[in-house]
Amino acid sequence: MFMKSKKLSTIKILSILILFYTNFMSIALASTFSEEQTVNITKNLRCLICQGQTIHESNSDFAESMKKYIKSELEKGKTDEEIFSSLVTKYGQWIVYDPGISRNTLLLWSLPLLLFLIGGVIIANKIFRKHEL
Amino acid sequence: MIISQLGYYSLIFGLLTSIFIFFNSSIQLKKNNLVISDKTFGLIGFQFFFVFISFISLIYSFIVSDFSNETVYNNSHTTKPLFYKITGTWGNHEGSLLLWLLVLTGILLGFILKSRNEPNNYRLLTTLFQQIIIIGFFIFVLKTSNPFNEIFPVQTEGLGLNPILQDPALGIHPPILYLGYVGTSIIFSAALASMISNYVNKSWAKNIKFWVLFSWIFLTGGILLGSIWAYYELGWGGFWFWDPVENVSLMPWLSLTALLHCILTLEKRELFKKWTIVLCIITFALSMVGTFLVRSGILNSVHTFANDPSRGIYILTFLLVLVLLSFLIFIIYENKNFTQKSEIFTLSKETAVLINNWFILYFLSVVLIGTIYPIFLDVILDEQISVGPPFYNKLILPFLIPFVLFMSIGPSMKWIKTNFRIGVKSFLVIVFTLILSFITVYYIGEKNIFVLLLFVGFFYLLFKSLDQFREKTKNFAQIFSHTGFSLLLISILLNSFSSKEIVKNIQVGESFTLKNEKIIFKKIAVEKEKNYESIIGFFEVLDEKNKIINLQPEIRIYNEPEMATSEASIKTTLFKDRFITINIIKDQNFFNVRYQHKPFMIWIWISTLIIMLGGMFAIFRKNKEVNI
Repeated sequence: MFMKSKKLSTIKILSILILFYTNFMSIALASTFSEEQTVNITKNLRCLICQGQTIHESNSDFAESMKKYIKSELEKGKTDEEIFSSLVTKYGQWIVYDPGISRNTLLLWSLPLLLFLIGGVIIANKIFRKHEL
Repeated sequence: MIISQLGYYSLIFGLLTSIFIFFNSSIQLKKNNLVISDKTFGLIGFQFFFVFISFISLIYSFIVSDFSNETVYNNSHTTKPLFYKITGTWGNHEGSLLLWLLVLTGILLGFILKSRNEPNNYRLLTTLFQQIIIIGFFIFVLKTSNPFNEIFPVQTEGLGLNPILQDPALGIHPPILYLGYVGTSIIFSAALASMISNYVNKSWAKNIKFWVLFSWIFLTGGILLGSIWAYYELGWGGFWFWDPVENVSLMPWLSLTALLHCILTLEKRELFKKWTIVLCIITFALSMVGTFLVRSGILNSVHTFANDPSRGIYILTFLLVLVLLSFLIFIIYENKNFTQKSEIFTLSKETAVLINNWFILYFLSVVLIGTIYPIFLDVILDEQISVGPPFYNKLILPFLIPFVLFMSIGPSMKWIKTNFRIGVKSFLVIVFTLILSFITVYYIGEKNIFVLLLFVGFFYLLFKSLDQFREKTKNFAQIFSHTGFSLLLISILLNSFSSKEIVKNIQVGESFTLKNEKIIFKKIAVEKEKNYESIIGFFEVLDEKNKIINLQPEIRIYNEPEMATSEASIKTTLFKDRFITINIIKDQNFFNVRYQHKPFMIWIWISTLIIMLGGMFAIFRKNKEVNI
């Protein structure tokens, strides 16, 4: 009996702690995403009415309303990816600074790497092939 | 008005002189004279003189605000300070092309004066190729971008210069940058000339090295000024954004850097002849691509390009002609005149230079493809994408680690063959590097193996470069530029990881905190200047030691053209910059305040200056015969 009640109380304490912790974490998380996560997202978005500025850097009306929108979406619990993809469907790929890998950007990513490999082969040939150049 | 006319006719005379020089030097080449008449070289002086007169006339028209001139009318205003009237001369399309032309002819004059001891047919051929470029640009300026167009009726007031261009750093940025850009033209002309006259050898390398260094130093300086300007004028504390306009200046810089290392190898060992020539051509082509992209307006959107296609199409066609011409010459003379007997050993400085070129050309291809791919995608598939910092970071950063490691050991390689021995000292350097990198990564709180590796690479390069000071035959040029480069990378990395920022909308009297600092918004004042009105915010920053730092960011409202700019207030210390900007929020009493800590900013500028200093050492270094 004694043992059982002790066990129970441990479970009680633990569950209270967990509850407290999750509660605390949700508060903590709620306060962190509004700052850093918003910045991370807005730094990756083009201010469509400015010249080569990100939403984060710009103070234009467009950028300001965009920042508010992203904050509210984050508060709703949306992930970064969801926000990015909803913006891309609305404004097009142009708004995101990270081109990502897609059918359209396959060459963009692979061409430099391919050139690097070709260069490597040429140079290896020069260095390791003796007595002739 | 008369002065403006003078400028125009002077340009025409300049063009006529160029055509005359072109035919004159062709005839002399045919005669195969060993002694060349001073006339040709005197004509080159005249050509420069005509463009110079033309340029001075334009400056004069700007100074006296001659609004009968269309360029002045479009880009100047009587209330502008004198300095910005002058810098406004090249702050626009027409004027900046005239500056191109001025540098183009000036560089040729400089080349002729500096190459008195070179073979005459080489000098003549260089003149000939340079004339092709000069004539091309003369026609371009006169046909599509005449800076001396008149407008009637004469206006009493001009439209003004874009306020964000009214800045001391940006005032001198274009001339410095152009000296670098256009300097590559003489490298191109000389490369073609040396191919035809069978002069691709050690003495040619020695001769052209000066111009490679010259362009490289000025291009570095031009990029530096542009970055400094972006840092304090654009109001968000960044200095590099992988913007196409920035990329376009980085591309020739990269290929010049590769070329620089090749020229040194050619000078010492007569190796990489073909490759050096190809790099000379690529470098100039990239400068032209840069001019094309910036001047055509294609960068912002292919649709703005459509508004004024004639300029872009002209440069593009001209560029294609030059590139085709150069590759034609390359194919014809490649087998005839290029013989190489030397072999390369695996462990040698030659190998190090090859690896250097391999990586630099890779970085170049990343920047080039990242810049022009979106344009092609837009034209061909009508799809718009943005290629921004994430793309460049992902493709460049991982490659930087092996690059800097090769860069660390490359200089200690010997020409021809190296026998490596790993002593206690090199072991100590490695241990020291590792410890320092761990501490740094721990301190900035970025516990990430990739970041650690970057720091290891950069610190290793720093110590290996500094270590070169102990060598008997010191190469100050290399030590300084490599040390500068490692410092630059370290400062950029530290800066990007430990920058802190806070954005608040507050009223006068309120305050906020960042880390241990309290920022108090004291008051606001309005001042009236000649061509703008400024709203100045007075801020006090209490740092951790309760020392007061005063910052006074401004909002300037320019009257001509009407536009508001935000002037940052920056307090620089050795370890960090405190950076503050304010902006007005519409219809409210609040101000949008952006306060930032930018660590090691000053080191980014200093290290770039050290890199340039290395280049200067290389220019003034006595050409000692190095024992092989």
